[in-house]
Amino acid sequence: MQLETSAQPSILGAKDSDLGVSIKAGSGKTFDRKNRLLFYNRFFRIACIASAVFVCLILFGILFFMFRTGILTFRDVSPLTFFFSTEWSPEEESYGAFVFIFGTFALTFLTLLISVPLSVVIAVFLSEVAPAWLRNALRPILDLLVGIPSVVYGFLGLTILIPLLRDVTGTNMGDGILAAAIVLTIMVLPTISRVSDDAISAVPRKYRDASYALGGTRFQTIFKVTIPAARSGILYGVILGMARAIGETMAVVMVIGNTPQLADALFKPTSVLTSNIVMQIANVPFDSTWNYALYMMGFLLLVISLLMIVLVRLLQRKGAKS
Amino acid sequence: MKSVVSETRGMFTKSRGINGFNNRLFTVLVWGISGCIVLFIISLLFLILQKGLPYLTWDFIIGLPSEMEEGGGIGPALFNSFYMLLISLVVAIPLGMAAGIYLAEFAPNNKLISFVRICVEGLASVPSIIFGLFGIALFVEMFQIGLTIIGGAISLAFLNLPVMTRVTEESIRAVPGELKQASFALGGTHLQTIRKALIPAALGGLVTGICLIAGRAFGESAVIILTAGVTTSGEMWDFNLFSPGETLAVHLWYVQSEAIVPDAVSISDKAAAVLLFVILLFNVLFRIPLWIKDRKNR
Amino acid sequence: MKWFKSLTVAAMAIALVTSTVSVVGAASSLKGKIVINGSSALLPLTLQAANEFKKANPKVKISASAAGSITGPQSVRKGIADIGAVDWDASQDVPGFKKFEGQVAHKVAVIPFAAVVNKNVKVDNLTTKQLQDIFSGKVTNWKDVGGSDADIIVVNRAFGSGTRVNFQMKALQGTDFISKGNNYKEVKSSGDMKTAVETTPNAIGYMDLVYVTSNMKALQINGIAPTEANVINGTYKVWGFGYYMTKGQPDEVTKAFIEYIQSAKFQNGSLKKLKFIPISAIK
Repeated sequence: MQLETSAQPSILGAKDSDLGVSIKAGSGKTFDRKNRLLFYNRFFRIACIASAVFVCLILFGILFFMFRTGILTFRDVSPLTFFFSTEWSPEEESYGAFVFIFGTFALTFLTLLISVPLSVVIAVFLSEVAPAWLRNALRPILDLLVGIPSVVYGFLGLTILIPLLRDVTGTNMGDGILAAAIVLTIMVLPTISRVSDDAISAVPRKYRDASYALGGTRFQTIFKVTIPAARSGILYGVILGMARAIGETMAVVMVIGNTPQLADALFKPTSVLTSNIVMQIANVPFDSTWNYALYMMGFLLLVISLLMIVLVRLLQRKGAKS
Repeated sequence: MKSVVSETRGMFTKSRGINGFNNRLFTVLVWGISGCIVLFIISLLFLILQKGLPYLTWDFIIGLPSEMEEGGGIGPALFNSFYMLLISLVVAIPLGMAAGIYLAEFAPNNKLISFVRICVEGLASVPSIIFGLFGIALFVEMFQIGLTIIGGAISLAFLNLPVMTRVTEESIRAVPGELKQASFALGGTHLQTIRKALIPAALGGLVTGICLIAGRAFGESAVIILTAGVTTSGEMWDFNLFSPGETLAVHLWYVQSEAIVPDAVSISDKAAAVLLFVILLFNVLFRIPLWIKDRKNR
Repeated sequence: MKWFKSLTVAAMAIALVTSTVSVVGAASSLKGKIVINGSSALLPLTLQAANEFKKANPKVKISASAAGSITGPQSVRKGIADIGAVDWDASQDVPGFKKFEGQVAHKVAVIPFAAVVNKNVKVDNLTTKQLQDIFSGKVTNWKDVGGSDADIIVVNRAFGSGTRVNFQMKALQGTDFISKGNNYKEVKSSGDMKTAVETTPNAIGYMDLVYVTSNMKALQINGIAPTEANVINGTYKVWGFGYYMTKGQPDEVTKAFIEYIQSAKFQNGSLKKLKFIPISAIK
């Protein structure tokens, strides 16, 4: 007891004296501290601004590089030939990229044709039909699938899908646009279905209640009320999937056959913009029309993907208005 | 809405029967299709793991690759994968977070900033091969350093930068405003508020984002083929930034389609399993703690 | 802090001494990095030589990859590689390819090429005319050349391949390839070609003799089998020289490596084992 009472004043005393010291000498010190904090604050702000500017600079750097190199194509090749000729044999100075442009669009279209209905069904299942425990298990799994590397999908396509296609359809090779579309479908399915799932889940409860109150079945409610209400969200998912399908490289390279000929059949080795770039870029000199043409194809891809972002923005604005 | 009304009004019992049938058919169909697809995809992934994992040996995982004889390993490629992942994260995380914090916290609400946002979003959707082409133009053509680890890692960082920016912005925006106001009320500066209040509160989103870009960097192949090449220096633990930097994902492609080793099939089976396993591990390690935290908070 | 400094100095001194010792201890003091790219036909040779060379010179790092001949001199020009392996003399104009200014060609081996088919194909021998017809798309069914009734799948190397140039000049005597069709596929490298021919029934392709595995069949051309003996005695005509291209005269390390691969010891030893033919054997 005695010890404590004797100790307490001394502690208090120490505190007081400390306080006194800091007050006596501290006016300058607190000012320093404030200044320092403000300086850090300011410096941090500038660093943040610089980073944001840097991110934008990368985009413009890419746009500039691709455009500057790509545009040189048209020194030797007329745009008409480049965009509409199907003759791609750089060794004979013919640079018609139509085969690849067509291939990219055909592949994307085919992929969406298979994947969108399936994805919407899965989204409906997740948001409306499945019991809660299954929903909670499946959502993380689908999120996980988005992160699987594309070469793994390509590897699956090459080792399992192509032999299977060969056996089932009796074609000679199995490489081609159908094989690529199936691989891409597996790749974009998680993306489209998860985004659509979120969109459908976000449809207000009262819409559904109203439909059920009017005597609608679950089928009617989903197809006539919920999906139309979630339309723009589903479209957003579809565009995301489309962007992935257009830009995907390695999974496509492994199954498409890489031969520059028009994809006018489901089983016919062909080539798309991405696969052609990655297969040929190592073989070309920097200062050749061939190289420029490949960069022009890259620029095309870039423009397509940026256009899609603008489309998404417009959709979101429209969604926000309504 | 109109059609629902009209259908329920007219021919009540009959349409009810058809609809009831449709409804049941629909439910069965949705269950069936979803079940099939999900089972199919999961069984594919399971197949990869099952074909590769049981046959893994340390010799394979840290062994040197062979171009001619059987028994090559994936050591340098696996090492390069982690090494480049690390470098790209070191570049992408600070820059991406800073840019995201700017957009969420400092940026005024005007036309210019919404344009910047479109830029970030646009960059996030640029196909990876474009970053590869950009990397070639930058590192091979301009700086003339050839195909190197550093070139590949920085191109990878560029690829992931916009994703990191967006994730940061979104998760910081999602932090409740009261938290921020409380920090300001205590006299915190903006920097202190961000460091001590916003970032810890947004940690869940940030970690998910980092996990996302790490997985992407680890599995990316097109960018690496163009900027870091399809060879390794042929040595384990080669920290030289200017060595050629083939990663595991590239090696999987290379072995499967280009290599002439007789055991290419077994190497690629095993490499695919390792690749998948590491990606799954990333997700499990980073996300499960978050799920548990989420559950507790609820 | 002082003891720390002296410790560092001591450590550095020890490191210095040991490193000098190890250099002296090793057979050679060559040190450096060689990057090789180019012809996939030459890759097995390059890799074998690199392994042996690295054993004799442990401080030299060699990394080799392949993506088709034209990549070789191209990478040398871009500065990506120190040596570009190529199946023709790229320092001179050849049909289809301009010469690469300022590059020096070093002859390293003779490469025999063979036409190969999938194992299910019954045909063992094709004449030059038949090969021409198949690769130009005039004959599309195996029954027309003595096989069973099945479509011929033509697998061709993409433009830029040295194997393609040599095969076209020497086996097809300059006939043009087809470039389109449902049963036509282009591949990027010899490894790719190997996978395609092994796994695709009724496929025909071509590659250098080294790559021929037991999972495919090498064809006789005009009744002559693709063997080293037949190349040396002059009856089998489908072969070419393999070259290493360097930017100007090579630096010390690269030069030592090229000299090693050209040495009689390597040419008559490992090179022969890999089914290549020593340069000296061809007159």
